[in-house]
Amino acid sequence: MFLTRSEYDRGVNTFSPEGRLFQVEYAMEAIKLGSTTVGIRTPNGVVLAVEKRVHSPLLESSSIEKIMEIDSHLGCAMSGLTADARTMIDHARVTAQNHSFTYDEKIKVESVAQAVCDLALRFGESVHDEEAMMSRPFGVALLIAGIDELGPQLYHTDPSGTNIRYDAKAIGSGSEAAQSELQDKWHKQMTLEEAQILTLRVLKQVMEEKLDQHNVQVAQVTAEKGFEILDETSLKNVIELM
Amino acid sequence: MQHAFAPSASHPQPQQRQFNPYSENGGTILAIAGANFSVIAGDTRQSEGYSIQTRYAPKVFRLTDKAVLATNGFAADGNMFVKKVRQRLEWYRHAHAKDMSLRAIARLIQTMLYARRFFPYYVYNILGGIEEDGSGAVYSFDPVGSYEREACRAAGAAQSLVQPFLDNQIYFKNQTPAPGTSHPAHLPLNHVLSLVIDSFTSATERHIEVGDGLEMYVVLAKGTPLQGLDAIQGITEMTATDDGERMFIIRRNLKRD
Amino acid sequence: MDHFPLNWGRPRNDAVDSYSTYPITQRPNHAPKDAFSAGIQHTQQPIVTGTSVLAIKFKDGIMMAADNLASYGSLARFRDIQRLHAVGEHTVLGAGGDMSDFQYIQSILDELMIDEFAAGDGHALGPAEVHNYLSELMYARRSKMNPLWNAMLVGGFKDGQRFLAYVDMLGTTYSASTLATGYGAHIAQPLLRRAVEGREDTLDEEEARKIIEQSMKVLFYRDARSLDKYQIATITAAGVHISDSLQIETSWSFAEGLRGYGAQTQ
Repeated sequence: MFLTRSEYDRGVNTFSPEGRLFQVEYAMEAIKLGSTTVGIRTPNGVVLAVEKRVHSPLLESSSIEKIMEIDSHLGCAMSGLTADARTMIDHARVTAQNHSFTYDEKIKVESVAQAVCDLALRFGESVHDEEAMMSRPFGVALLIAGIDELGPQLYHTDPSGTNIRYDAKAIGSGSEAAQSELQDKWHKQMTLEEAQILTLRVLKQVMEEKLDQHNVQVAQVTAEKGFEILDETSLKNVIELM
Repeated sequence: MQHAFAPSASHPQPQQRQFNPYSENGGTILAIAGANFSVIAGDTRQSEGYSIQTRYAPKVFRLTDKAVLATNGFAADGNMFVKKVRQRLEWYRHAHAKDMSLRAIARLIQTMLYARRFFPYYVYNILGGIEEDGSGAVYSFDPVGSYEREACRAAGAAQSLVQPFLDNQIYFKNQTPAPGTSHPAHLPLNHVLSLVIDSFTSATERHIEVGDGLEMYVVLAKGTPLQGLDAIQGITEMTATDDGERMFIIRRNLKRD
Repeated sequence: MDHFPLNWGRPRNDAVDSYSTYPITQRPNHAPKDAFSAGIQHTQQPIVTGTSVLAIKFKDGIMMAADNLASYGSLARFRDIQRLHAVGEHTVLGAGGDMSDFQYIQSILDELMIDEFAAGDGHALGPAEVHNYLSELMYARRSKMNPLWNAMLVGGFKDGQRFLAYVDMLGTTYSASTLATGYGAHIAQPLLRRAVEGREDTLDEEEARKIIEQSMKVLFYRDARSLDKYQIATITAAGVHISDSLQIETSWSFAEGLRGYGAQTQ
C-alpha cells in the first residue's frame, strides 16, 4: 500500500506517511559531513571559529573561506556544502543593504536570519509551467553573528528553514562533542578573549590535525569594530594563550 | 518617404485630449521641533478653486506612538499616501518586531515618494515626532522625496506667509541679540504653541484656502513635564503606552469666511 | 467645482467656448499638445452627462436628490434617467458626470453586493464601505490615466449612524453634513449650509424635504443643463426609499417684466 522509503525520498515536496521530508533530512546529514564550526556569544560580542581542512600540503589554506561578512555589523560561519552558502549569503547581503537603504538603519540580526531561512524554504517552488528556482534544499548550516539594539546575538539556521538563537553553538562533523564541551564551559559573563580561547579549545578537541593558525579561522563581531576576521598575528596570539 | 503614422487626408488628425490627474486642495501644514517635544499642525479646510469642499478634512495623522505625519497638496494623493505609509509601518512591525523609528520612517517616506518619481504623489509631507535619542524632530519632504531634518517647516497654500514668520521667530533671522546675550537654540512648549496658533490665525486672515479648524498634535519625549499642557482648552490626550512618549491633540476653531 | 463635466480634469480656458455651446464633436481642442501621449489614448470625454446631485443630513438619516436629465452637450437628450441608485439595504449612490460610466459603476456595485451576499458571513456592506470601495476604484482608474468621469455622493444609514460623503473622478473624497456636486456645489451648497449646519440632529424629514425641494428649484432656474423632473432618496433606519419622479413647480411670470432681453415691442 505505502510506497517504500526510497520512493518517498525523491520528491522534495512529498511527505512520507510518517510525516517526514527525507530530502530535507538528508540535507541535514550533509552538514554533519562538514568541518566543525563554533560560535559563542558574550556580553561584549560574538566569536565565530571554523576548522579549515587542509587535505593536501599543496593546498593554499588561505583560499578556504568559511567565514564571511554580511554587513559591517553581521558575520557568518558555515558548515556543509559551502558552495550553497554563497547563494544564502548573497541573499543576506542584499537584504541587509536593502534594509539600510530603505530605513536608514542597520538590520536586526534576527531579521537577517529570518531572511536567510525564507530563502532556505523555497526549494521545489514553481508556478505551473516555470522551472523551479531551486531544485533541492541547501546542504549547509550557518551561524549568523551580529550586534544590534538588542546586543550581541548568535543565530543558527539549517536546511529546514529553522532559525534559533543560541548562547553557544557548534555545527559540523564534530558538533556533538563540541556542543557538550560548550555546554560545560560557557558562562554568562565570558570575556571576548575567553570566548576566543574556548572556541579554539573546542575545535582542537575535535580536529584530527594539530591546530595552528593555518587550519583554523576566527572572526568576531563587537560593538566597537563590528565584524572582523582575526589576522594571522592575532590568531597566533590566541593560540598561544590556549 | 511617407511615415506610417502620418495623418492622411482620409483620416482626420486624432483628437488630442488632456486629462489632468491632479488637483490642488488648499490648506496649510506646519511643524516645529523643540528640545524634547514636537508640534505638528494643520488646518482642516479642504477646497478646490473658490469652493470649500468641507470644513473638516484632517491633514495631520498619527502614525506611531512618537511619529505624526502632515500631508498637503492633492488630497486624494495625500490620503492614499498616508494609507500606504501605515501599511508599510505595520508590515515592518510584523517583520522586525518593533515600531519604526522616526528617522527610519523619514527614509521610508523618501523611498516611497521617489518610487513614484515619474508619476509623483502631488503632496508636500512634514513628519514630526521624537527621535531615538529623545530629541524633538521635524523632517520635511518635497513631492519626489528630497528630505531634510529641520527645526521648523511650513508647507502648503500659506507656506509663503508662514515660513518667513517662523524664520524670524524660531531661527531669529534678521534679529540681533542684545549685547552679551544670545538667541535660545530651542523654545519652550507654550511659546511654540502660541507661535503655531498665531501662524494659523494670520494665514486664515490673509489666505482664502486656510481656515475652519486647526488641529495641533503635540508629542512629548519620555519623561518630559507637561509644562502646563493639561490646562490648555480643547486638549485630548491620545497616548497609547504608560512608559513612552506622550501624545496630545489640541483642536481650535479658525474663522470660516 | 466646474459646472461643465466636459471641462472636468482639463486646464480651464474661459477664452474659448466659455458657455459650452458647441456640439460635442466640434468642440475646440485647446489642450496642450503632448508628443508622448499620442501613442495610447485611454482618456475619454464625458458624452451623455448628468448635472448636480444634492444631499443633506437630517435627524433620522440622509436625504439626497438628483434630476432625471441626461444631456448630450447642450441637448436635453434623455429626460427619464435615474441618477440615484440603491446599493444594498443601507446606501444610496447619486451621480453626476458621464452616465455610461455611472451605469458601469452601478453594475460593478451590484455585482459586489451579490458577491458579499453570497459569502453569507453575516456582514453587509454599509455606506462607509461602499464609499471606500468607490474611492479606491476611482483613484485606481485616475492613476491609470483612464478615469471614470463622475462626481458622486454616497449617503446611508447603518447601525444607528448616518453617513454622507463625496467621491469624484480624481479619487478626491470628503465628508460634510451638506454636499453638492457640479453646478450645485456653487448654487445649492450655500443654501444647504445655511439651512442645515448646526441643525443636523433636529431637522425632521418634512423640513429636510422642503430644503431639498427649494434647492432643486433654484438649480432648475439657474442651471441650463437641469430638468424640472427629479427624485428624492431618503435613507433612514427603515432603509432606502427612492421616490417616483417629482415635478418642480415653477413660475415664469416674472419674465414678462424683464426689459433688455429677447423680443420686446417697446
